Amino acid sequence: MNPGSEPQRAAAACYHCGLPVTEPGRWRARILGAQRDLCCAGCEAVASTIVAGGFEQYYETREATARTPIPEALAPSALYDDPAAQKQFAAAGDGFLEATLILDRIRCAACLWLNERTLREIPGVLRADINYATQRAQVAWDPRRTKLSAIIEAIRAIGYDAWPFDPQRQTALDRDTRRAALWRLFVAGFGAMQVMMYAFPAYVDEGAGDLSGGDASLMRWASLVLTVPVVLFSCGPFFSGAWRELARLRPGMDTPIAIGIAAGFLASTWATVTGQGEVYFDSIAMLVFLLLGARYLELAARQRAATALDRLARWQPSAALRLADAADAGSAESVPAHALVAGDPVLVPAGERVPADGVVERGASSVDESLLTGEPVPLAKEPGGELVAGTLNLEQPLVMRVVRAGAQTRAAAIARLVERGSAAKPRLVEAADRIAHGLTWVVLAVAALAGLNSGNPWIAIAVLVATCPCALALAAPVALANTAARLLGRGVALTRSSALETLAKATDVVLDKTGTLTAGRFAIARLQLLGRAGEGRCRALAAALEASSRHPLARAFRDESPSPAARVPVEELVNFPGHGMEATAGGRRVRIGTEAFCRELAGAPPPNTLRDAALTPVFLADDGGWLAVFQLEDTPRPEAGEVVAALRDSGLRVHLLSGDHPAAVGSLAGRLGIADWTGGASPQDKYAYVEALQRAGRTVVMVGDGLNDAPVLARADASIAMGSGADAAQAQADCVLLAQDGEARLAAAADCFGLARRAMRIVKQNFGWALAYNAVALPLAAMGWIGPLEAAIGMAASSFIVVLNAMRAA
Amino acid sequence: MNNNEATYNYTVVRQFAVMTVVWGVVGMLVGVIIAAQLLWPELNFDIPWLSYGRLRPLHTNAVIFAFGGCALFATSYYVVQRTCHARLFSDGLAAFTFWGWQAVIVLAAITLPLGITSGKEYAELEWPIDILIALVWVSYAVVFFGTIFKRKIPHIYVANWFYGAFILTVAILHLVNSAAVPATFWKSYSAYSGAQDAMVQWWYGHNAVGFFLTAGFLGIMYYFIPKQAGRPIYSYRLSVVHFWALIFTYMWAGPHHLHYTALPEWTQSLGMVFSLILLAPSWGGMINGIMTLSGAWHKLRDDPILKFLIVSLSFYGMSTFEGPMMSIKTVNALSHYTDWTIGHVHSGALGWVGLVSMGAIYFLIPKLFGRTEMWSVRLINVHFWVATVGIVLYIAAMWIAGVMQGLMWRAVGADGTLTYTFVESVKASYPFYAIRLLGGVLYFGGMVIMAWNVFQTIAEGRKVEAPIPAPATSVAAHA
Amino acid sequence: MESLWILIPLSVAAVFAIGWIFWRSLHGGQFDDLERPGTDVLSDDQ
Repeated sequence: MNPGSEPQRAAAACYHCGLPVTEPGRWRARILGAQRDLCCAGCEAVASTIVAGGFEQYYETREATARTPIPEALAPSALYDDPAAQKQFAAAGDGFLEATLILDRIRCAACLWLNERTLREIPGVLRADINYATQRAQVAWDPRRTKLSAIIEAIRAIGYDAWPFDPQRQTALDRDTRRAALWRLFVAGFGAMQVMMYAFPAYVDEGAGDLSGGDASLMRWASLVLTVPVVLFSCGPFFSGAWRELARLRPGMDTPIAIGIAAGFLASTWATVTGQGEVYFDSIAMLVFLLLGARYLELAARQRAATALDRLARWQPSAALRLADAADAGSAESVPAHALVAGDPVLVPAGERVPADGVVERGASSVDESLLTGEPVPLAKEPGGELVAGTLNLEQPLVMRVVRAGAQTRAAAIARLVERGSAAKPRLVEAADRIAHGLTWVVLAVAALAGLNSGNPWIAIAVLVATCPCALALAAPVALANTAARLLGRGVALTRSSALETLAKATDVVLDKTGTLTAGRFAIARLQLLGRAGEGRCRALAAALEASSRHPLARAFRDESPSPAARVPVEELVNFPGHGMEATAGGRRVRIGTEAFCRELAGAPPPNTLRDAALTPVFLADDGGWLAVFQLEDTPRPEAGEVVAALRDSGLRVHLLSGDHPAAVGSLAGRLGIADWTGGASPQDKYAYVEALQRAGRTVVMVGDGLNDAPVLARADASIAMGSGADAAQAQADCVLLAQDGEARLAAAADCFGLARRAMRIVKQNFGWALAYNAVALPLAAMGWIGPLEAAIGMAASSFIVVLNAMRAA
Repeated sequence: MNNNEATYNYTVVRQFAVMTVVWGVVGMLVGVIIAAQLLWPELNFDIPWLSYGRLRPLHTNAVIFAFGGCALFATSYYVVQRTCHARLFSDGLAAFTFWGWQAVIVLAAITLPLGITSGKEYAELEWPIDILIALVWVSYAVVFFGTIFKRKIPHIYVANWFYGAFILTVAILHLVNSAAVPATFWKSYSAYSGAQDAMVQWWYGHNAVGFFLTAGFLGIMYYFIPKQAGRPIYSYRLSVVHFWALIFTYMWAGPHHLHYTALPEWTQSLGMVFSLILLAPSWGGMINGIMTLSGAWHKLRDDPILKFLIVSLSFYGMSTFEGPMMSIKTVNALSHYTDWTIGHVHSGALGWVGLVSMGAIYFLIPKLFGRTEMWSVRLINVHFWVATVGIVLYIAAMWIAGVMQGLMWRAVGADGTLTYTFVESVKASYPFYAIRLLGGVLYFGGMVIMAWNVFQTIAEGRKVEAPIPAPATSVAAHA
Repeated sequence: MESLWILIPLSVAAVFAIGWIFWRSLHGGQFDDLERPGTDVLSDDQ
């Protein structure tokens, strides 16, 4: 590499997005009373828009720098404005349309503020409200005065992105569930507080006799009045749960609780009316409050996890342009994406997402699959190329033939995999469920026996309340749900929660190279001159040609940008999607790109060039002949070293296993400090390697990518896939590393192990606690040594401890 | 409706804000005088109107209801308008609350030295004044809730919940506790008798502290700390929980003021338990306020107004810890009737209520008079340090004196007789009264500095009216 | 303790009143988004 070509000055940070400013003074904007250096034209445009809109305050209140704007943001498609498509996501009112938008690239509250102000400034937008908790915008607009595409355009202009939200997930239902639960909790809590206050005098007064009979009776009646709503309303979930359990003759955790509450309440009411015997309204109300509190926390955790899942739901574009006549692009009509069937011809405009899985029929373009795969290199697509739903067509319109649509697409399959995740429970949890079920029968039997034997119904009630297996039943789900949500937040979709157990026990991690440790960030490894031009001239030419290209290989040349003096002026720059760039420089036509593309210009096959499977060649030629071939190398992800170190530090043995040339694998292993590496491994070799480790008693986790890794992903005890496009690999994987801002976070792989260990530790603690508690409480209650009050406190406290402990997992 | 609907009603806010400062100076001056009288009893000059017993209720009324009350009126009117994006419900009623409240204060300042009192602590004023208070308070409630009712922002900001609870509860407390049978125009007898009267009085007394001096000022805290710090409250969710938890528990903690009295044993114990439970929401609120600055602690160094607000919270935390401790019966056996109680009250009053009000007024004055900041920021800093040193001297002196008194009163010889006479404990307290006076003078001095600073700011400024932001476009407005 | 015969029914009534206020605000959406209002108050100048 040319040592003089890398600018070494200490770069200032871009005022907008925080990236280093490599060309000070080139992009600037006046923000908050001073000229600020910016890193690129995108940031300049966004910052000027924000300032011009009068929202400079954003820069004062934000807590994090903005995300770097999407390069050359593509215009949102007119599809969003199509009435047929809008039926999917928008509700029509009297003269207005209303839709929910999911906002993306949000960093802090100031971002939300900025988005909302911007939305409200758009003429024709009638109402815009952003829920800060869910980061969704509720927007109503007048379709005669503005369009949804213009609204989304305005959001993109300030550097964010938005999608209409497919309201299949019932947000309104979620909200009502949460409100109902909170209201139940409030009634129980307020009732419990007051009833305790009325009950307290009787406890304190025990024997002192300060409390007259009349006063005591007044307190009991007041307690009764306040316990009625607690029992009749707040306890609803317990009673309906118990009813369902009894109807199926499978008593679970609700049955003993419901019986205990009902019996306790009736007995206390009887005592109040007759003026004889004990009342335990306070115990009942408090038990209900604490149990509902535990369940509310569980509900909140589950809804948080569900909200995180919505990030997957928005991949799906909601409309498609179906062609009536496959040969005539003018015959397009807009239809809902899920109405497509296999065999439909569909037009995918540039800048639009692919509506279904399919095959390219006509046109050439490149497609960004990063959302799905984490692979930042747009892939060239030509007729016959495969298209995956949810990916972004970047350059030219394509006509495709649908192969799989709707729920059959890969994006939908991944979302389903994640939902399936909670269905497969860790073995430990399954065992606990069986224990809880058995324990319920024991509790019911012991309660009946103890009650009959002593003739005191309060003993039976105490047994029911003290030992119902609530804590046991709550021990795992909250911890698992929280961990799954946490992982999703970090870019890991957990497709089987049973994998948490394996991840926690893992001893060895096997990493794949291409696509896993490397991510398509290319650098020039070698330059081979093929013609008369010198090295400097070739580099300058390449840089000039690729200066405006969005192709990721182009970055390798721009990173080398020559000194201004050596800049070569080029004209008539033309992009040939999937092939390369062409321009005129110094009166000659010059091309850079694939061998075939350049050969059209050079006329003859290139002279003997180096062939190296680990390197990607890019050719440079002009109408006079071949000039050079650049060999580009896929460099490791910047975080690869840290991730390997983190894995090693957490006690795992790290292996590198790759089909690439052993020399390339060895040098990478050396750079990352991996001692156990194998290059040139076939899928069979990889399979055998993992099998051998397992025979040696190791628990192996495979981190891989691509179809050829599928067998070994399946063979390993647990597997993490790099959000690879190959769905076979993903179907086998227990975790999928999702892309965030177009980069699958390898670092998230390291997080998986720590979080899994933590989750399993918490689950075990909870089981231990719940079992120990029940083992102690059951005999004590059956002997009549703990009364209903102690039973209620013990039971509720143990549930609470378990849930609070589980919240630590998030 | 009013033709001024495009602007906020700053007039009444300005009036109350200025009077907060005026009554602060007056009330604290009376405090300094009676502190000096404890040191030099001759200072009453044998004039009955200046006797300690008459000036003390004047002091408490002036600082709580005149200084604290005006601060609450000013801030609540400001906050409710700005967070609801609506002008006050009625300019006329708002003006009535101002003039009515000033009349109440002036009447108190006249009747209390004359010895006209109903004898109930913090509710000394006689029945004609009580009726005026009731009228003002009902108007206040109408203006405040009316403004909330016509708000343009769907959400009701948490500070308004605290203000609302304060207004409603004080109305009920005042009505119940002041129920009396008039004998003459300036004399009445409580509607309750004996222990009942004591219980009602301390149910009032405690909740006056709880809702007047706590809930109301928490409203100030939840608006002015985020505004001055330029950061959202640490956890808005926690602030909502704080509000409801406080409502749940505060109502029931009253009887601890009557430990070891004729009240039944169980009522006293009840009061103790709920006082202890109170600690949780109080500290939740304090942590929420202080943590608002997390990640921006440097602002505390540069911004004297923020110092007032944050330090007030630490005093809030201190006194809400001290209070429940003192309600434990064994602790109370030592502390009750000693100067420790005075110390406790003043750590809350000077530290929490005083500092948070001053911080809020420093925030308000420039905004109300069209300035960007106070006339002298340096003087705010001076005020802060003078006041803080004053508080520390005051409460330290009272702690020592109080514990000493408690120990001397309970000390018994081998034969069962008291070791000390009462007057010996008074003599032993004497030096601490001097320190207390010094602390009080410092705190009062700070207040005078503030008055000067406010006067200069107003002299340079002009009255401004702030426009109400255009409401977010709504479907109804366009469809 | 006659005062109890006023205070206790009063407190029961108060509980229902406060419960009603909570119910109204809950279903009026006051507690649906508990992150935004904290931020909104900072920008009440616009």
